Amino acid sequence: MDKSERETLAARVAGFAGAGVASEAIVFDHDLGLTRFTHNAIHQNVAQSRTSVRVRTIVDGRTGVASTNALDEPSLRATVARATALAAFAPHDDVAPGIVASDSATPPAGAFDEATARADPAARAAVARAIFAAAEASGLWAAGYVTSDRSGVTVANSAGTLASYDGTSCAINVKANGPDATGFAETHAVALAALDGEQTGAVAAAKAVASQKPRAVDPGPWTVILEPAAAGELLSYFTDHFSAQAYEEGSSFLSGNLEAARAVTSVSLVDDYAHPLFVGRPFDFEGYPTRRVPLLERGVASLVTDATWAKRLTRPNTGHGSPAPNAAGPLPHYVVVGGGSKTKARLIAETKRGLLVTRFWYIRPVDQKRTIVTGMTRDGTFLIENGEIVCGVQNMRFNQSILDGLARAELAGEAIRTGGYGYDMVAPAVKIEAFHFTSGTDF
Amino acid sequence: MSLSKGFDALAARALDTAVARGATYADVRFEDGRSERIDVRNGAVATLSENRSTGYGIRALFDGAWGFAASDDLGEGGIDRAAARAVAIARAGAAGATRRFGEAPTDAHVATYATTVLRDPATVPLGERVALLLEAERELHAAGPAVRVGRAWLDLWTADKTFYSTIGSRIAQSLRQTGSGISALAADANEAQDRTYPGDVGLYGTGGWELVETAALVANAARIGEEAVQLLAAPQCPAGELDVILGGSQVSLQIHESCGHPAELDRVMGWEANFSGTSFLSAAGLGTLRYGSELVTIVVDNTLPGGLATAAFDDEGSPSGRSDIIRDGILTGFEMSRDTARTIGRTTNACVRAQSWEYVPMIRMCNLNLLPGDVPFEALFDGVKHGVYMESNRSWSIDDHRLNFQFGCQIGWEVVNGKRGRLVKNPTYAGVTPQFWGSCDAIADERSWVAWGTPNCGKGEPMQTGRTAQAASPARFRNVRVGVGYDG
Repeated sequence: MDKSERETLAARVAGFAGAGVASEAIVFDHDLGLTRFTHNAIHQNVAQSRTSVRVRTIVDGRTGVASTNALDEPSLRATVARATALAAFAPHDDVAPGIVASDSATPPAGAFDEATARADPAARAAVARAIFAAAEASGLWAAGYVTSDRSGVTVANSAGTLASYDGTSCAINVKANGPDATGFAETHAVALAALDGEQTGAVAAAKAVASQKPRAVDPGPWTVILEPAAAGELLSYFTDHFSAQAYEEGSSFLSGNLEAARAVTSVSLVDDYAHPLFVGRPFDFEGYPTRRVPLLERGVASLVTDATWAKRLTRPNTGHGSPAPNAAGPLPHYVVVGGGSKTKARLIAETKRGLLVTRFWYIRPVDQKRTIVTGMTRDGTFLIENGEIVCGVQNMRFNQSILDGLARAELAGEAIRTGGYGYDMVAPAVKIEAFHFTSGTDF
Repeated sequence: MSLSKGFDALAARALDTAVARGATYADVRFEDGRSERIDVRNGAVATLSENRSTGYGIRALFDGAWGFAASDDLGEGGIDRAAARAVAIARAGAAGATRRFGEAPTDAHVATYATTVLRDPATVPLGERVALLLEAERELHAAGPAVRVGRAWLDLWTADKTFYSTIGSRIAQSLRQTGSGISALAADANEAQDRTYPGDVGLYGTGGWELVETAALVANAARIGEEAVQLLAAPQCPAGELDVILGGSQVSLQIHESCGHPAELDRVMGWEANFSGTSFLSAAGLGTLRYGSELVTIVVDNTLPGGLATAAFDDEGSPSGRSDIIRDGILTGFEMSRDTARTIGRTTNACVRAQSWEYVPMIRMCNLNLLPGDVPFEALFDGVKHGVYMESNRSWSIDDHRLNFQFGCQIGWEVVNGKRGRLVKNPTYAGVTPQFWGSCDAIADERSWVAWGTPNCGKGEPMQTGRTAQAASPARFRNVRVGVGYDG
């Protein structure tokens, strides 16, 4: 479904609620192709297509929501009627901001690639085969995926808001596997043509080869250099602290003390949908234009809001809302990490003894307010001695306050886009002193 | 079941199209899914929504390669396109492939099944449902303003799905799942402490409103709010090598993470290597690998009444049953699909599920239960010189081979000389899977055995949210590393 069709549909559905009822319709349209492989062969190959409509109605300060993927007129009218009927059972909420008109937001150029939107499974299989070749050249087997994805979203409401975004994205995620070591690499792009299976596969393979026969090292405080995938996943457990909801309700390290951010002076976190590596959606799911927000810059913290939290805290709406109403609160989605200028190679060269970490796994909060998280290293961890990578090391578990770590961090200048389970970020390599490992493994 | 009858003609068209395009086998799964979510937060209804999603997923087999295409276009043209797309994807996978993962099944089933529901949630007026949650949420605040966030929630899920295959299967299942819970967040200038009930995500299972009644949210809300506030001023959990008694819901999570996931045979075979990881297990360990103490017996039972994953058939059309994974502490089986089971000379134990119509079916742990022991819960404290009793998960992490884990709970009580003592905050424990299960020396009996549901298990790419259950009683473990993360 193209932009014009979505906008027609969204405006029509929002209008079904009738006079006196504030209404909003969000149309999601999604077409995903994913080719997954293991042992240098494709074992799962899928395509998913779906168009759905989410309706919100507000009657006398009471809100109801219903959604459907049945797009015939009777089903759509029934969905709007159901949302309105549900609203009658919600208590009156005199704090909720209601449905309001929003300024228009212009999508950044270059978010959509027509060839990627039409990519077939053979194109993804060709990228996969290049990855297999790179792995086989080093006597390894590759596991991972190649995706091509087209998505569109339109928000329309009874106050006149109409906002649309169309994007394509694709990615390679590859883990190269040897007898006693593994290596990881990833690439994200708007266009499938920009994916280089051979090169990404070779990076993963080189890591797996370099980390063969990994040594055990003792847990304890280590100087670490986190490559972008490791840094991005770690910081994804930090960025939710900049939500106005978390701040107000007491679970953020910033709650009641914005000054706590002063400890971090060399790292900047900026939410910026327009960054060239994101070219993301310029409005939130209430249709409100998303502002560029410096979440953390030179020790000064800023919060993201949505319509509800902007009203509650008497702050500007930064346009970071999820589909309303929701329990999650506003969240940053396009975080760019910066603040450094050196190369990763220089950070390594300046390290007397430390660990280079390719990637983390299963990070979880241990103590949300103190920003303490635990997790494991994975797919390529290396010992650095006197500025040189000397060997692979066995994986280790860490327990670390992110805030404390960032207070003694130094960043590389060059950032890439990295994404995985629950996060999508632009991040460089990050060097942290006295990163706290608490136990090891024998692999 | 009238809806599934309406799919017969479309299913025949999909399967015929797939065969005409060259598929040697195909199946199609139509699903009409509905959900209701109510989420009350600090006196306001944060979510009151209904969702309906109808569509189908087609699997096609060509030259040993699977293709999967899902669509919500229920017109004949949409069916034709999706079936053709599934075959095209399978062909793309087969081209130049050096390995063949897929093989057509030979056993067809014709059956219908419906979840047993004692009280249909639809007979409880929506106003009553909302009022119940508002009352429970209000009670969470009885402890005063230190409770910064109160929440109460309800999920009602229904899925009517019908599976058809080219070898003649037609399986119609009507599944009903229900869950509810409450949580309190207490915070002051230095601390933020969460308490949830029941367990760490609420009480989820197959069934109807009777599950909400069992949860008894209102009756427990004031206690949960009070405990959250008490934790703000509670002493830190002691650190060191201590005995640990885990409440039932935490044992459930321990099973899920350190038994359920490593025993997924697709993971053992490397099919999940780049994301969820692999496993420390291998088929060579069947019958010999000591996984835990002799008290530890863990079974797949997808027929368990009330289990969140209970169904008569899985999503590749295999009938549910019961089979051992660990018997008397020894590894004896895996969670399997048809294709993976064949590689180790076994037959599937029907552990294949998809999140919904649009997702490809894959191995999930479904219902995986630790059989109860033979002592009352209170007896677990006997003989503990110094230990901690912990309840309700707060933090969970385990490595990508499923060996090195660290879990945190919401609340703990120090145990000294067999007596439960003072409340302690931030209890954590860590270990290595076989050693930890090997230290299990007591499991409470069936009186405290609960089929704890996990409604949010992530696996696969595209990632799917699975609904699993791990029935468990509280259990005792000796000489465990306690206090990690807070011990400097």
